[in-house]
Amino acid sequence: MSTTFAPDVIPANSIARRTGPSFPALTGLEIRKSLSTRSGKTVAALAVLIGPLGVLIATLGSAGGVVPAAMAIGIIGMLIALVLLALGVLSTAGEWTHKSVQTTYLLVPQRNRVLAAKATAMGLLGLVLAALGVGLAVGTLALVTPGVVWFAATQAVIAVIAAGAAFAVIGAGIGAAIGNSAAAMTGTYLTFLGILPIISTVKPGFAAKVDPAASIQELAQHGPSVTPIAVITSWVIVSTVAGMVITRRRSVA
Amino acid sequence: MIRVSGLTKKYGDRTVVDQVSFELEPGTVTGFLGPNGAGKTTTMRMITGLVPNSGGQALVAGKPYTELPNPGAVMGTLLDAGAVHPGRTGRMHLRLLASALGVPVARADEMLELVGLADAAGRRIGGYSLGMRQRLGIAAALLADPPVLMFDEPANGLDPEGIRWMRDLLRGHAARGGTVLLSSHILSEVEHTVDRLLVIGAGRIVADGPIHELLAGDGTVVRALDPVALSGVLRVAGLDATMQPDGAVLVHGAAPERIGGLAAANGLVLTDLRPADRGLEDLFFQLTDAS
Repeated sequence: MSTTFAPDVIPANSIARRTGPSFPALTGLEIRKSLSTRSGKTVAALAVLIGPLGVLIATLGSAGGVVPAAMAIGIIGMLIALVLLALGVLSTAGEWTHKSVQTTYLLVPQRNRVLAAKATAMGLLGLVLAALGVGLAVGTLALVTPGVVWFAATQAVIAVIAAGAAFAVIGAGIGAAIGNSAAAMTGTYLTFLGILPIISTVKPGFAAKVDPAASIQELAQHGPSVTPIAVITSWVIVSTVAGMVITRRRSVA
Repeated sequence: MIRVSGLTKKYGDRTVVDQVSFELEPGTVTGFLGPNGAGKTTTMRMITGLVPNSGGQALVAGKPYTELPNPGAVMGTLLDAGAVHPGRTGRMHLRLLASALGVPVARADEMLELVGLADAAGRRIGGYSLGMRQRLGIAAALLADPPVLMFDEPANGLDPEGIRWMRDLLRGHAARGGTVLLSSHILSEVEHTVDRLLVIGAGRIVADGPIHELLAGDGTVVRALDPVALSGVLRVAGLDATMQPDGAVLVHGAAPERIGGLAAANGLVLTDLRPADRGLEDLFFQLTDAS
C-alpha cells in the first residue's frame, strides 16, 4: 500500500485543488475557452451551418441533373474544414494576440501540456462540429436537392468528419507557431486558398502530395488511400510540433 | 516565500537584469521600485517562468514557480491587467480561472463582489476601464486565496478610493501572514503600504531594506518657541543648524537626544523634536540616478 502526500507548498487550508488540472479537465477548459467568446461561437456556428447553406445555394443555382453525394459532401467537407481551421488558429494565436496566454501559463506553466490539451480540444470540437455540419448538409441534400446519387456517401461523411478534426488541430498548431491572430489567419488562408490552388494548377501531381484541402475531396470521393491520409497527417504533425517548439521558447510579454 | 538568487536576463550582449538577489518573508509587503526599463517587470516575469532567465534562480515556496503543483494556489500574480480576452465577460473570465485552479465556481462571484465589479460581472471585459481591469486582475490573483501575492503596477488606473482599498487589501494580507511583492510608480502609495523596499536601477538591486531605515536621514528636525535662540545655541555647540522656511530647524549630524539636552540646558521650550526623514521620492532619485 502506498500513501500519497499532498505537496506542502500549498497551504493546508487552501480552497484550491492541491494539484494542477488533469488532462481531461484541461481539455474541457480549452473547449470552454474557445466557445466563451463571440468570435469562437460565430466560427463554431459557421462550421455547422456552412454545409446546409452551401447545399441550398448550390441547389438553387443548379440546372438539375445527377448529383453524386460523395462529391457534394467532399466539397462541403472542404468548406467545413476551412472554417474549423480558423477555430483552431483563434484558439492559440488569439491567446497571444490578446495576451491572455499570460494567465494561461501562470496557472498551468507546462506549455506543451497546455498545447496538447488545446490540440485535443480542437480535435474533439472539430469532430463534433464537422459531424453536425455534414449531418445537416446531408439532411438538406436529401430534402431539397433532386437527383442525388448516394453511392459512397458514408465513406465521404466519415472522411469529412475526420478531416474537420484534423484541420482544427492544424489551425491550433499554426496559430501557436505564429502567435498572432491576424498574421496566422492571413498566412493560413493565403496558403490554403491562394498558393496551394496555384500549385495545383501548375503542378497537379505535386499539389496532390501537399494540399490537405484537396486531400479531403480525394478521400470523400475515392475512399481511404495512403497519399491524402499522409498529406493531412503530415500537416497535423508538422504544425503541432512547430507550435510546441516555438511556444516553448517564446517569452510571454 | 520568494527567494531570488543571482537572477540574470540577457538579450544578446545587453544585460537587463543583472545578478538580482532578494528574499521575501511572510508577513511583509515589499515595494519593488525602479525607473522604467530598470528590470522590475522582467524580474517578475522570470520569477513566474513567463520569461526564461539567462542565469540564477527564483524559488517560490521552495520550488521554481513552473514546478509548483498548482502555482496559482501558491502565488496570485497580476502582471498586466490588459492580458485578458476582451470578448469574455468578467464573470466568465474568473470562472475559467476558477476551473483551472480547482476552486468552487461560486468563488468567482465572491471575488467580483470583493473588488467591486459585481454590477459589471456580465459585461464584456473589452468595455471595462483600466481601473476595472486592474480590479479584475486583482480578483483573479485572489481567487485561490494564495499565501503570496505579486502585483506589477496594480494602482495604475485606480481612483483614490481604489488605491486606498488596495492598500488595505495588501496590508491585511500581510497581517494574516501573507507575502506581498508590489511594484509601483506611485511613490506616495508605496511609502504608505510597504514594510520593505527593493530598489532596482539599471538591472541591479541598489537598495534593499526596511523602509524606515532607508528613509531615515542623518539629522534632526526641531521646533522651538524661540527658534532664533535655539539656532544660536546649536551653532555655539558646533552643530550645523539650518532654519527652514516653515520655522523648523534642521540639524545635520546630530541625534534628537543631543538637541533635546542642549535645549533643556539653555531653558528653551521645544514644540517638536524628531529624526529627519528623507522623502521616498528623494531616496528614489538618489538611488536610481546613481545607478
